[in-house]
Amino acid sequence: MATQHRRARRGQGELEGQVLGALREADGPVTAAWVQERLGGDLAYTTVVTILTRLLAKDVVSRERRGRSFVWTPTADVARLAALRMRRLLDGERDRQAVLASFVTALPPDDEQVLRALLEAADTGAADTAATGAGAADIGEEGLQDGGGGD
Amino acid sequence: MGVFVLLPLVLPLSAWPVARLAAPRLHPRTATRLLTSVAVVMAGCSTLCLALLMVVGTAQLPGNPLPDAWSDPEVRAAVPHDGIAGRAAIPALGAVTVACGRTLLAHRRVIRRARRALAGLPGTTVVVLPAPEPYAYALPGAHGGRIVVTTALLSGLGPAERRALFAHERAHLAARHHRHLLAVHLAARANPFLRPLRSTVVYTAERWADEDAARAVGDRRVVARAIGRAALLSAPAPARTLAALAATGPVPRRVAALLAPAPAARDWPSLFTGVGAAVWGAAAGAAVSAMSSANSAVTLFLLLHAATPL
Repeated sequence: MATQHRRARRGQGELEGQVLGALREADGPVTAAWVQERLGGDLAYTTVVTILTRLLAKDVVSRERRGRSFVWTPTADVARLAALRMRRLLDGERDRQAVLASFVTALPPDDEQVLRALLEAADTGAADTAATGAGAADIGEEGLQDGGGGD
Repeated sequence: MGVFVLLPLVLPLSAWPVARLAAPRLHPRTATRLLTSVAVVMAGCSTLCLALLMVVGTAQLPGNPLPDAWSDPEVRAAVPHDGIAGRAAIPALGAVTVACGRTLLAHRRVIRRARRALAGLPGTTVVVLPAPEPYAYALPGAHGGRIVVTTALLSGLGPAERRALFAHERAHLAARHHRHLLAVHLAARANPFLRPLRSTVVYTAERWADEDAARAVGDRRVVARAIGRAALLSAPAPARTLAALAATGPVPRRVAALLAPAPAARDWPSLFTGVGAAVWGAAAGAAVSAMSSANSAVTLFLLLHAATPL
């Protein structure tokens, strides 16, 4: 059952990409019926509308009322949709740690305090070695330039 | 012989002290390689032992397709409670097979889905995604792989910290860390006692990339700050596990390690220092564990081989 669910989700992800791609190929706002025709054949009209509504919720398309139905316009590009698909992958895969090494992992509150203390110590350390002066406002920028030269 | 043949199943318990000793004291590159090899050897021996137990214990069960000679009395005498052990080995081996299969499938699926997610974008090594969530991943691939990073993460970092981030991810790809990660994940599936090695290798692989990044940008403090800032950008973890509560998590440890002096360039410290003795002890312990695992498996196999006309 879980695999079925996952398969369904993956299918929806692909459809979203196709629908957005079709919208982006259109010259101006188009109706769901146009999208359905463009994608050809086996997609039901209601499916297209469902996917368009989902894209709307993701802020990837916008719609306006024209007559009795809506016309749709893409508001985001492929990169945005890729980001959404990536997000879905990261949310859905528990085992992704075996494949994708993350730059940082989520931080429990206790760790957050430890980390802030560490960074603070590092920044004051950088300021100390910088001793030559110029009371720079941004410790971060100052630290990286001095650190780079110092080592 | 007695319980000796069951040793490969329980010897992976030694992974816990080995991981504790080796991880903080060895250079992360050495630790990753050492612990991955130990995990793979122990997992292999443990699985082989399960398979042999199953053969011995079940060959005489009615309806079993294996030849009866495989369950020779002499062989069965070598295994305590051969019937029970053999019958217990069947579901255990089944569980190992299923778990490893699922991990492999998940591995392929994640890579396929990630590639599909990026389909349609220009084929550059670095992919910047417009997203409000700060994250960065190294996605292994045929042509050296790709680095996926979001605008939210990049905008939270200074120029030098971005260089550190890219150097870190490039180090993951160049050293093919995903292979180490997959190997220890499979090993931990094959024998749950190896789980400490899995979490340790996940950590040391990050440390390895951190150290490579520090060398690439020439400043350890910049890398430390990049990691710290990136972690603070991310929302705190909503669910807390008991293990996470017990000890300081990986991110502060990585930052602290980078703020400390670089680990020894020499891979193996001298035996005559405290650190060296601990590390060599851990390495020797790991080697002995792996070898006795292998020994038990081979002994059982030779016994079987001698007892059967094959």
